[in-house]
Amino acid sequence: MPHDSDDMFEADNATREGRGPVDHPTMLSSCARAATAAEARFRVPYPNSRTRTSRIVALDATAAEAMYQITEDPWNDAHFLALSSTGDVDPGKTPAASLPLSHPDGSAANLAAELDGADLVVLIAGEGRSAGAAEVIARECFGLNIMCAGLVLAEGKSEAALDRVVNSIRAFTRVLVVARDGDYIPAMLTALRA
Amino acid sequence: MLKKEINDLLTQTDADTPMGEMFRQYWIPALLARELPEDDCPPVRVKLLGERLIAFRDSKGRYGLMDEFCAHRGVSLWFGRNEEGGLRCPYHGWKYDYTGQCIEVPSEPEESGFCEKIKLRAYPLIKIGDVLWTHMGDKVNRPPEPAWEFATVPPEQTYTSKRWQECNWLQAMEGGIDSSHVSFLHSGALNSDPLFKGAKGNQYNQQDKKPVFEVVESDGGLHIGARRMAEEGHYYWRITPWIMPSFTMVPPRGDHPMHGHFWIPIDDENCWAWSFDYHPVRALTPEERQAMMDGYGVHNKYVPGTFRPLQNKDNDYLMDREAQKRGETYSGVWGIAMQDASLQESMGPIIDRTKENLVSTDNGIIMARHRLRKACVALRDKGALPPGRDPEHQMVRSAAKVLPPDEAFKEAMKDDLTARPGVKQTSV
Repeated sequence: MPHDSDDMFEADNATREGRGPVDHPTMLSSCARAATAAEARFRVPYPNSRTRTSRIVALDATAAEAMYQITEDPWNDAHFLALSSTGDVDPGKTPAASLPLSHPDGSAANLAAELDGADLVVLIAGEGRSAGAAEVIARECFGLNIMCAGLVLAEGKSEAALDRVVNSIRAFTRVLVVARDGDYIPAMLTALRA
Repeated sequence: MLKKEINDLLTQTDADTPMGEMFRQYWIPALLARELPEDDCPPVRVKLLGERLIAFRDSKGRYGLMDEFCAHRGVSLWFGRNEEGGLRCPYHGWKYDYTGQCIEVPSEPEESGFCEKIKLRAYPLIKIGDVLWTHMGDKVNRPPEPAWEFATVPPEQTYTSKRWQECNWLQAMEGGIDSSHVSFLHSGALNSDPLFKGAKGNQYNQQDKKPVFEVVESDGGLHIGARRMAEEGHYYWRITPWIMPSFTMVPPRGDHPMHGHFWIPIDDENCWAWSFDYHPVRALTPEERQAMMDGYGVHNKYVPGTFRPLQNKDNDYLMDREAQKRGETYSGVWGIAMQDASLQESMGPIIDRTKENLVSTDNGIIMARHRLRKACVALRDKGALPPGRDPEHQMVRSAAKVLPPDEAFKEAMKDDLTARPGVKQTSV
């Protein structure tokens, strides 16, 4: 295929301001002008990513309630876990294997096993009472080089109550989102291909 | 990843599309005021939200924005004569006032009142700051006039430019809330651009390329905080406000003017990238203003006589691999604005978001899409007016600050993130 036109070729050279002439013919598909809808159909069609392994952990009852609304949706390799103890844990005395976690069906889950091969952990907090558990999970993620993100549910909370929740997980996440509504959970997980 | 139907919903803005209806709920920038510099000056063609319009300033200084084409035979009124209180089609002399009302049809008896039956669709056009703003929606729901700080400070404190960007508005806007690209794409400019260089904050940017993000919903949109390490365990925070549907501000650097953008759809495959600089408490210096006019900072150089960037897809954005090797630019493209635009245009006219692979640091983008979708659907299904119309939502600023590790930006920087007349910006 020849370059688009001699005029354009000359125009290219005229704007290069002493950086030397273009020394090769420019095909439409090998220059920035290829950014058209018509050229988009020549993009190579293939799956450019493998399935991600995501672990979503509800740190309290409020978070679990919001999370359980979407666990039946079709996800890729996402596992949904909930902290199954009502009280917080002492992070200094709680190894990962001892963190009380459960699957949506109520069966016990082991954090270390769940994190094996994981790409992403999302901590969901709605009450701010689980800083110790968040620290245990974040510590494991750090050791395994797993991205740990936090999602705080702000719905119906006063400023002070919201601050308490945010402060409970801020130190343990590389990304923290404060969402007004629980419907951000599926929006975020879908966007992240969870 | 975004489902195709949501991508379509957010990217299509012609009349009678949900997102088009949403944009029509706001005052949006239509033209630079200097495009219509005097009464009876030449009319200007402008395409907004998929509608071809003509803007003019009549003999009494009134601004008009209306359908570009004469109701008689469809002639473009860009050829019109702007004279004696209206725009006259040169073909058969039909004349329209600034409201789009036909006021003369010379071939018909004047007494017939025929011209009163002819009216072009027209929208209000008002001047606030350097910008002519229009509201293309139903008059019943017209919001209060724009209250953005950049448009309301004295003229000597502000400068606005616009450029044609050859891609959909959403992918351009998403660049404005994507804080993590700065440490890469714009890293060369932090050392050399006269409107960026010399700030203490630049060092933090360059030393810590893995910022921690915090995304917080606000009444009008979002605050996106990026946290980097500073001295003694403190954090350097940069906060980007996004106000719906498409206003963003870049966190400031030192005492440089503050800057930001609007992205306004021309049609689904083109948008206007509006760029502004202002200083809240002092006049721009002649050097700063000249730098903006020369294309530094968030502005750009032009193909003479147009709003098309000099670096564009027809010349591969004047890619300079030697400058890249020398470390002057990270991508090889000169200038912050065109570094962004070149990459955003390379995605194609409308990026296929079903194929993207977002990561958790993209949560600002994910949340913005989520809020846009919700507002769009609420407007379509329930008639709920979207956030960002309230002047209070528009009284925002970006800010940069070093905070102790136990302080959250949302509380510690609340005042810093609010536009306060006569109060200097918070910057590092």
